[in-house]
Amino acid sequence: METEKLFEITAYTENQVGLLSAIAGIFTRRSLNIEKLLVYPSQIAGIHKFKIITRAAEAQIQTVVLQIEKKVDVIKSYYEVDNERSCREIDDVRQFLQERETESNNI
Amino acid sequence: MEQKITGAEAFWRSLLEEQVKVVFGYPGGQIMPVYDHYWNYQAQIRHVLVRHEQGAIHAAQGYARASGIPGMVLVTSGPGATNVVTGVADAMIDSTPVVVVAGQVPCQLLGKDAFQEIDLIGMATPITKWSYQIRRAEDVAWAVSRAFYIARTGRPGPVVLDFTKDAQAGLVDYAPKPCHFIRSYVPDPQVSESQLDEAARMIDEARKPFVVYGQGILLSGAEKELAAFLEKGAIPAGSTLLGLGALDSGNPHLKGMLGMHGNLAPNVMTQHCDLLVAVGMRFDDRVTGKLDTYARQARIIHIDIDPSEIGKLVPVDLGIVGDARKVLAGLTERIAPRTTREWQMEPILCDAVEKHKVIEPEIQPGTGEINPGEVVACVAEAVKGEALIVTDVGQNQMLAARYSRFVRPHSFISSGGLGTMGFGLPAAIGAKIAAPERTVVVFLGDGGLQMTFQEMGTIMQEGTDVKIVLLNNNWLGNVRMWQQLFFQERYSCTRMLNPEFTGIAQAYGIPSLHVETREELPSAIRQMFAQEGPFLLDVHVREESMVFPMIPPGSSVDEIMLNNEDWFNYGD
Repeated sequence: METEKLFEITAYTENQVGLLSAIAGIFTRRSLNIEKLLVYPSQIAGIHKFKIITRAAEAQIQTVVLQIEKKVDVIKSYYEVDNERSCREIDDVRQFLQERETESNNI
Repeated sequence: MEQKITGAEAFWRSLLEEQVKVVFGYPGGQIMPVYDHYWNYQAQIRHVLVRHEQGAIHAAQGYARASGIPGMVLVTSGPGATNVVTGVADAMIDSTPVVVVAGQVPCQLLGKDAFQEIDLIGMATPITKWSYQIRRAEDVAWAVSRAFYIARTGRPGPVVLDFTKDAQAGLVDYAPKPCHFIRSYVPDPQVSESQLDEAARMIDEARKPFVVYGQGILLSGAEKELAAFLEKGAIPAGSTLLGLGALDSGNPHLKGMLGMHGNLAPNVMTQHCDLLVAVGMRFDDRVTGKLDTYARQARIIHIDIDPSEIGKLVPVDLGIVGDARKVLAGLTERIAPRTTREWQMEPILCDAVEKHKVIEPEIQPGTGEINPGEVVACVAEAVKGEALIVTDVGQNQMLAARYSRFVRPHSFISSGGLGTMGFGLPAAIGAKIAAPERTVVVFLGDGGLQMTFQEMGTIMQEGTDVKIVLLNNNWLGNVRMWQQLFFQERYSCTRMLNPEFTGIAQAYGIPSLHVETREELPSAIRQMFAQEGPFLLDVHVREESMVFPMIPPGSSVDEIMLNNEDWFNYGD
């Protein structure tokens, strides 16, 4: 059995009603207890940020993060084991949104 | 400037923008403004009035699976909405594009326990790809086009729109708002060239590669690409239940169906290959059996358009996210051509055992009661693979899958992931409406037929030409089988006292025949197909019918029961 650890999951999302329960449901169906939950505006205007702390096995967290990102109104989701947080995430989201903007102009 | 129109009318205009031809529905209080405006759109859009909302959603699923076009459902709030929930869950797990629009109480009554109010979004969230409450007439065009875009793109799925009564009644300057792009949603991810190179290298290096494919092939329209890939690499393949029809049943590379009641060869080959290439399938437990022992000897490549499927159940050596058609085309370009593979002996041996121990006793028993598989084989003989086969759930489903033959895609429609009894009859209605030029046959048991039997009324009213083949054993056959095998023959609550089904068919004006003996069967089947329009063929089959081979739940996929006594031993 893979050992359980504390993970910090982040998700950058559109501001849509109902997204909190959609994301919470991904944890509930696995009986994963959310230890800490924060939802607040991110550094990018109009984009919300979820921060979720939970205890689980890493293999499970990988699928959880992908299932969060699968929600139509979720832009990106990540997880990290320890507290060392880089600024890569927000740059990644910015770059993704820029690329999508270009793609949308090409349609 | 055009006059303002109501949200209800904007809804029908939005459906026309989406080229919707058919709506399966049932009116009620909170959706009445929408139904009222339908009066003016009858010439452009066909409304099929079902007898129960569950019938509407399954018919829409059948429609979508037969055509590839999203099925459309229109129901009222409260019970109308809760009655579609089973089908929405079914569409979610089977990746079926459907758009469900339900009425909802006016906004000022939301959350106040109004008559026929339920929190539909709350109920639908875990079982939909997207769900949204329309609160203003201005949002109708946007929400409808977004719903169809999400339902049909990427990995398809159900979308639910909760349409409040004030949004239906409100006025709007209507303009179409086509949706082709959502920035947070990437339905067709770019396929990584380097991963394709890596996969091609792994395939070329493999001595015993094996492909397992699923409905993803049909959803992406990758049937030709799959056949070309297998041909160039001389790679054998097995299909999941929902992948059936993606390859011609006669394709020499196809070794049969995977899983619990699948063929011996593909299950055994899973445990003997050195490379497993999974395409557009999700390693359902009915396919993998015991996960800890599943294909542990092999390297594994998993190709899926949904990134969250990669590594969900089976750890993989390489995961490729992308559309199956593009990935397979890319792989075919890259792999080295081969004419033969050294491991063709395995399937030949397995097939011989299966034919002797399982297939012949099932479909050519010679004497005794009629076997259900015999009926399927007899129908298959008559339709020559051309029919669109729909099933209910249980023994009828497994036998229909095992003994039908397919010569073209979109020929097999069945409730796979959710296993919804009652799916068959309404799904067949939707399939026939989507593909009127095709013969549609639905196999069901006496249990499942009675779960949605009321849709005989829809068949009567619409004159839908579906051939209903009832494999009637007066038991809940699959559960009875499990009780016999795994619950010490304690047949708890599985015996059914049934009505005379032909009498019910007659009451609906639907021609029918009851068959008791083997001798009557071929001519009864001929009569069914000769008759234009719907037909019920009620076949009394062996009461203690079994489905073999069987991989018992929790067993490895090569631990296979051949009948009540014998187990398959590869190498004997």
